[in-house]
Amino acid sequence: MRESGGARAWRWLREHAVVIAAGLVVLYLLIPIAVIFFFSFNDPQGRYNFTWQGFTLEHWGNAFGIEELTDALLTSLKLAVLATVIATIVGTLMALALVRHNFFGRRLANFLIVIPMATPEVVMGAALLSFFLILGTFSLGFQTLLIAHVMFCISFVVVVVRSRLIGFDRNLEEAARDLGATSLQTFRLVTLPLILPGIFGAAMLSFALSIDDFVISNFNSGTTVTFPLYIFGAAQRGIPVEVNVIAMILFFFTVAAMGFATWQQRRAEKMASVRPEQEAGAGMPAGVPAAT
Amino acid sequence: MKRRAVPYLLLLPGTAWLLLFFVVPLYYMAELSLNSGVVGELEFNWNWDNYNEALSLYDTQFIRSFVYAGVATVAALLLAYPLAYTIAFKAGKWRNALLFAVVAPFFTTYLIRTLAWETILFDESPVTEILDALGLAPEGHVLATSGAVIAGLTYNFLPFMILPIYASLERIDVRLIEASKDLYASAAQSFVRVTLPLSAPGVVAGTLLTFIPAVGDYVNAQFLGGVGNRMIGNVIQSLYLTQSNYPAAAALSFLLMALIMVAVFVYIRFAGSEALMGEEAV
Amino acid sequence: MVSSEKDQRRTSAILAVLVAVAALAFGLAACGGGDGGIQGGGGDTESEAVKLEGKPSGSVTISNWPLYIDKGTVPAFEKAEGVKVKYIEDVNDNTEFFGKVQPLLQQGESGGRSMFVVTDWMAKKMRDLGYLQTLDKSALPAVEENLRASLKDPTFDPGREYSIPWQSGLTGIIVRKDLAPDLKSICDLFDPKYKGKVDFLTEMRDTVPLVMKCEGVDIAGASEEDWMKAIDKIKSAADSGQIRRFTGNDYSTDLTSGNAVAVIGWSGDAVQLQIENPNIEWRMPTEGCILWSDNMVIPIGAPNPTAAEAWINYVYEPKNQAKIAEYVNYVTPVEGVKEIFDKSEPELAKNQLIFPDDSFTKNCDTQPTLSGEEDQKVSAAFQAVVNG
Repeated sequence: MRESGGARAWRWLREHAVVIAAGLVVLYLLIPIAVIFFFSFNDPQGRYNFTWQGFTLEHWGNAFGIEELTDALLTSLKLAVLATVIATIVGTLMALALVRHNFFGRRLANFLIVIPMATPEVVMGAALLSFFLILGTFSLGFQTLLIAHVMFCISFVVVVVRSRLIGFDRNLEEAARDLGATSLQTFRLVTLPLILPGIFGAAMLSFALSIDDFVISNFNSGTTVTFPLYIFGAAQRGIPVEVNVIAMILFFFTVAAMGFATWQQRRAEKMASVRPEQEAGAGMPAGVPAAT
Repeated sequence: MKRRAVPYLLLLPGTAWLLLFFVVPLYYMAELSLNSGVVGELEFNWNWDNYNEALSLYDTQFIRSFVYAGVATVAALLLAYPLAYTIAFKAGKWRNALLFAVVAPFFTTYLIRTLAWETILFDESPVTEILDALGLAPEGHVLATSGAVIAGLTYNFLPFMILPIYASLERIDVRLIEASKDLYASAAQSFVRVTLPLSAPGVVAGTLLTFIPAVGDYVNAQFLGGVGNRMIGNVIQSLYLTQSNYPAAAALSFLLMALIMVAVFVYIRFAGSEALMGEEAV
Repeated sequence: MVSSEKDQRRTSAILAVLVAVAALAFGLAACGGGDGGIQGGGGDTESEAVKLEGKPSGSVTISNWPLYIDKGTVPAFEKAEGVKVKYIEDVNDNTEFFGKVQPLLQQGESGGRSMFVVTDWMAKKMRDLGYLQTLDKSALPAVEENLRASLKDPTFDPGREYSIPWQSGLTGIIVRKDLAPDLKSICDLFDPKYKGKVDFLTEMRDTVPLVMKCEGVDIAGASEEDWMKAIDKIKSAADSGQIRRFTGNDYSTDLTSGNAVAVIGWSGDAVQLQIENPNIEWRMPTEGCILWSDNMVIPIGAPNPTAAEAWINYVYEPKNQAKIAEYVNYVTPVEGVKEIFDKSEPELAKNQLIFPDDSFTKNCDTQPTLSGEEDQKVSAAFQAVVNG
C-alpha cells in the first residue's frame, strides 16, 4: 500500500525532527535580538521606549550622542579588553601547567579553578566589596572593577584552554624537537599556533563575560559607570533608544569579528596544511568553532 | 631543578590572583557572618545565630531558587541538545554561523535581553495570547509569574548549556556511530547507546554551568517576576545593599555556596567527575 | 619515575610558595586594620563643617538620580564658574545607594564624590551617623533668598544645616484612566476588582505611610505598631495576589503596557508618562499624598566642597532652575520659577504637579521618621514582604 501524503509528511517531520527543533531554538535565541533591533528604529515622543510610535533613523545617526552612555560604553570596552588580555595570559599559563605537568598540589589547583565558577555572582561581588574596603589600597572604581573582572574570567580561560590542550597531539612537538628546535622555539612555532583557536575562544568568552557583567560590577564600581550599570539605572527611568542602537552595534560587530576570525583560521589551515585531528577527551566548553 | 619549578612558576600569577581576590575575601565574609550588631558597630562574637536565622527565615526562597534553577536547567538541556547535535553533526558549512547565533546574543548585555522579554511578553501582546491559548499561562498573563522567571533563566543561560554539549559531541569519533549502525543498531539505539554516553561530560558541564549561576540570580526575578517569585539572590542583595545587614547577608551567602557545593558534589559523584576536574594527565 | 629525594625537594618548594602566598594575604589583611575594618574607624558624630576656600575651582563629582537634570545646566555651570563637573547618575534607590557608600563613609571617605542627592529620611539617617558636613551658608545667598518658605524649616533638618532640596515631589497613585476610571484612593488599590493589576513601590517610606493613611492613622504621630499593621495589610494583599509586583520606577512599563491599571507612583514620572500615553494620569488619593524632597548633601571626605556649594547656589538662581524644572517636571523648591513659566511655559505654570498650591496638598504629609531601632525592625518586616 502506498504511503498517503499525510503519512509521508509525518515521516519527513520525524526524520528531520532534530534539525527542526534546532531551528526553533535558534529562533528562540534570536527573538529578543530582533525586538531590540526593531525598537532601535522607534521614534518615541517621551522618554520611554516601550510602545512603537514611528520609524526613524535618527537614533542610529545619533548613536554616540548621549555622553553618559558613550562614556559608559567606552569604560566597559576598555575594561573588557584589559581584563581579557590579563586573564587570557594568566589563564593560559595556568592551563599549561595543569595539563602538561603532574605535580603535587595539582588537584588542589584544579579545585581552586573550579570554585569561582561555582560561586554565585552575588556572593563574589559582596565578598570583594568588603575586602576592598578593609584593604583600603585600591579605590573603588576602575581598578577594583578590573581586578574583579580578571578574577572571574581566569577560571573560564583555564577551562577552555585546558580542554584544547588535552586533545593536543604531543607527537608534533616531539617531531619539532627531533628536528632541532629548542623548547621555546617549539612552543612558539608549533604549540602556540595550534592552541591559538582555543586561546582565542577563551579570550572571546572572557571578553563577553566582562562586557556583560552586571552583578559583580554593581557591588564594586564606586562611581565608575559601566555599560550594564548605565542600563540598569536607565531601566528605572526610561531607556533611551540609543541604548538599543549600541547593543545592536555590539552584536553586529561581534558577528563580524567572529566571522573574520573563522575566515583567518581557514586560511591559516589551508596554508599550514597541518590539521589537528579530532580530539578525544574532556567535555568542557570550547567556546569557539573547533577546527576540523 | 629548573624543570621542577616550571609548573609552579606558570601557576603563580593565576593562583596568587585567585587566592588574594577570591579566597581571602571569602574568608572575610566568613568572619563577617559571625558578627552581630548594626552597621557601624559590628563585633565578631562567633554568632552562629545568623546561620540559624538565615535558614529559618529564608527557607522558602532557598527552595524556590533551587526549584526555579532546576527547572530552567532541565528546560535548557532539552532545548540545547538538539541544537548542539545539529551543529555538531548536521550543520556542515553552516556550523560557524550557527555557533555565532548562539554566542552573539551575549554581546547585547544581559539586562537588555531580559528587558526585551518584558516588551515581548506584556499582558496584551500576541505572544502572550498564543501562550495563553496553548494553556501555558495559568494566570492569564506571563509576566510577573514564576513561569516568566524560569523562562528568563533558561534563556539567559542557554548558551552555557549549548556550548559544552557541542564541544563534547564534536569530539566523538563518527566512526563509532557508524560502527554501531553497521552492527544493526537503529538510529535511536545508536544515539542512546553511543552518542549520549560519549556526550556525558558535556552534559554534566553544561548543567553545572547553567544551574549554578541560575540559583544565585536575581535580575530575572526582579524584572520578570512578581510578588512571591523572588529568589535567594534577591534576598542577599536586599540584605547587603538595602538593609545593610552585612552579617545576615554574609551568612546567607555562605549557606547558598554550601548548598550549591553539596548539590554539585552529589551530582558529580553520580555523573562521573574525572573529565570535569581535568584530572587526565598528559 | 621521580626519586624520593626529588619528591622532598618538590614538596618543600611548594610549601615555600604556599606559605609565601598565605603570608602575603594575611599580611595585607593585617594592614587592613584591627579586628576587621568594616566595623572600625570613621564616623564621628561630631559634625564636620564645610571649609570654604575662596573662589571655586578645580573639579567636582556629583551623584544624582537618573534623568533629574536637563542637558544644558552642567555645561552652563562649568562655563560660569570655571569648575569641571563629573555628573553621575548612580543613585537609583536610597537604600541601595546607602549600601554602596556606607562602608566608605564609615572610614571618612566619600569615594570621590563631592555631593550626592538623597531623600529627606536618608539625609537624616546619614547625618545621624555623622556622614554629612554642615553647610556654610555664607556661600549660599541664592538659597537664602529663593528657597520656598514651606521648605525652609523641616523637622528633620531645622534651619537647613546640612541639606538643601534639589527637587520635591508627590507620591500618590498613577492610573490608567481608561482601565480604572473609578480608582481614586489608596484603599481602592485593595479592591479585588483590580486584583493582580496593581503595583506598589519598593520605597518603604512612600508605600507604608500611604497605606497607614488608608487605615486612618495620623502619619506624624504613627507608632511602630501602626507601621507593622500597615505592613501586615500589604502582606495579605501580596499573598492573595492583589499586588502584581513591587517596583521602583519600572512601574512605567506596567502602566504603558496595561499590565497594571494603577500604581503607587511619583508625580514627575506621571508628567512624562502622559506624553507617552494620554490615558495615564496622576491622581491625588482621597486620603492625601506623601510629600518628599530629594536633597543635596555634602558628605564627609568630600573633595572640593567649595565648588559643591557653588553648584548649590547656581541652581537656586530662578533662571537656572527654570531650565531644570522644565525638563524634570517635579516640584521645584525655588521661588520665582513659576513667574518665569507664566510667561514662557504657561501650561507648565498651571500644572498642579509642578506648582501645587496649598489646597491641592492639604491632606498631604511629609515622610515620617523612625528611630534607629524601629527603623531596623520595620525595614526588615517590609523587606520580608517584598522579597517573600
